Amino acid sequence: MIAAKNTSWLSRVPASWKFGSLLVISIALYLISSWPVLLVLLAASIAILATARVRLSQLRGPLTALSIILAIVFIALGLQTSWLNAAVSVTRLFTLCLLAYSVSLTTSFNAMLDLFQRVASPLRHLGANPAQIALALSMAIRFIPELRRVYSEVREAQHARGLGNNPLAVSVPLVIRALRIADETAEALDARGYDSSSVHGK
Amino acid sequence: MNLPQIRLENVTVTVENRDVLKNVSLTLDERRIGIIGANGAGKSTLSRLINGLVLPTQGAVYVDGLNTAKHAKKIRRDVGFVFQNPANQIIMPLVADDIAFGLKNMGLGAKERDARVQQTLAQLNIAHLADRESHTLSGGEQQMVALAAVIAMQPRTIVFDEPTTMLDLRNRLGFQREVARLPQRAIVVTHDLEILEDFDRVLVVTDGQVAFDGPADPAIAHYTQWSRA
Repeated sequence: MIAAKNTSWLSRVPASWKFGSLLVISIALYLISSWPVLLVLLAASIAILATARVRLSQLRGPLTALSIILAIVFIALGLQTSWLNAAVSVTRLFTLCLLAYSVSLTTSFNAMLDLFQRVASPLRHLGANPAQIALALSMAIRFIPELRRVYSEVREAQHARGLGNNPLAVSVPLVIRALRIADETAEALDARGYDSSSVHGK
Repeated sequence: MNLPQIRLENVTVTVENRDVLKNVSLTLDERRIGIIGANGAGKSTLSRLINGLVLPTQGAVYVDGLNTAKHAKKIRRDVGFVFQNPANQIIMPLVADDIAFGLKNMGLGAKERDARVQQTLAQLNIAHLADRESHTLSGGEQQMVALAAVIAMQPRTIVFDEPTTMLDLRNRLGFQREVARLPQRAIVVTHDLEILEDFDRVLVVTDGQVAFDGPADPAIAHYTQWSRA
């Protein structure tokens, strides 16, 4: 999920605080087994999400998918252990997911990348470049839908030639077009002043 | 706006033993310059020489006196480039972040970046696209975002490589209108001869050489005649 522009109080909290708190709470949640405390935390997570000014349309899909997963987990755990145990686990998971949605939907993608670069900065001692890793990460997110589109086009073209189910007939043009996209994107990075030797990012 | 002089001195570009451009010498001072020619004639190579994306095999290219072979980074801040396929030029998943990408590379702080992004989006009347995910944009919107990403860096020259090839008529006219309003120098490589009507100068490139160099009307007439021959 990529955050759209958000103006809630939570968007003004620095990304490092939000992700740090999420990490601490996610560990703490699994140490708590008291029902009243879990219910208070669940209510708090709902209140946070409700005040995060997130559009309902952004939440509908993820919440539907989450409900299905939680239902499966509840039934599986209930049958294997006890229904009370299943209810506790599902409450923890639900609370955690609501908090994670609140954080990810109120943090801009750039703020997340900056945080990632800071967290990954010790990797520099191992010869890795956090700025490059962050850029690769964002480009992967950017180009997955693009490659999916290219795949559909190639598959359609090969279907028209009666070769739609031939893996070679689809994969060869797909790889060639992906390489061409990579070439053009590399050229665009150059044209837009990207300095691959920059260790800190900018 | 003070426009930088672009100078090509005896430039030859050789790729895989083939001379894509042969001994080209030019001085570009005008505000609107078109480059036309057949596929494979060397138009794109000529345009890429201007901001150092392609370096000459022989000769030299100067932008405001700076050699592209030695000062490519500096020159790219002053010469923006809009590619034929905007989808491959948009790097970031969100539109506003993509426009900010080049500004970040220039070393601008977050506040200045945000201000420039908003200003550029407003200038091109695409403020409503700021929070859109890049892959959900239409072809016309992608081309406007690609242009915004370049304009935000405030270059004095913008090179367009066949910018309207992937656009429908409505988007093409809109794009053409925005380009006409730009205070920057525009160097446009195109097959779309209508775009060139008001241009100050048009170069016709054939077989790696500039076969005609002059005002738009005679250049287009020359190219049309050459194409029919």
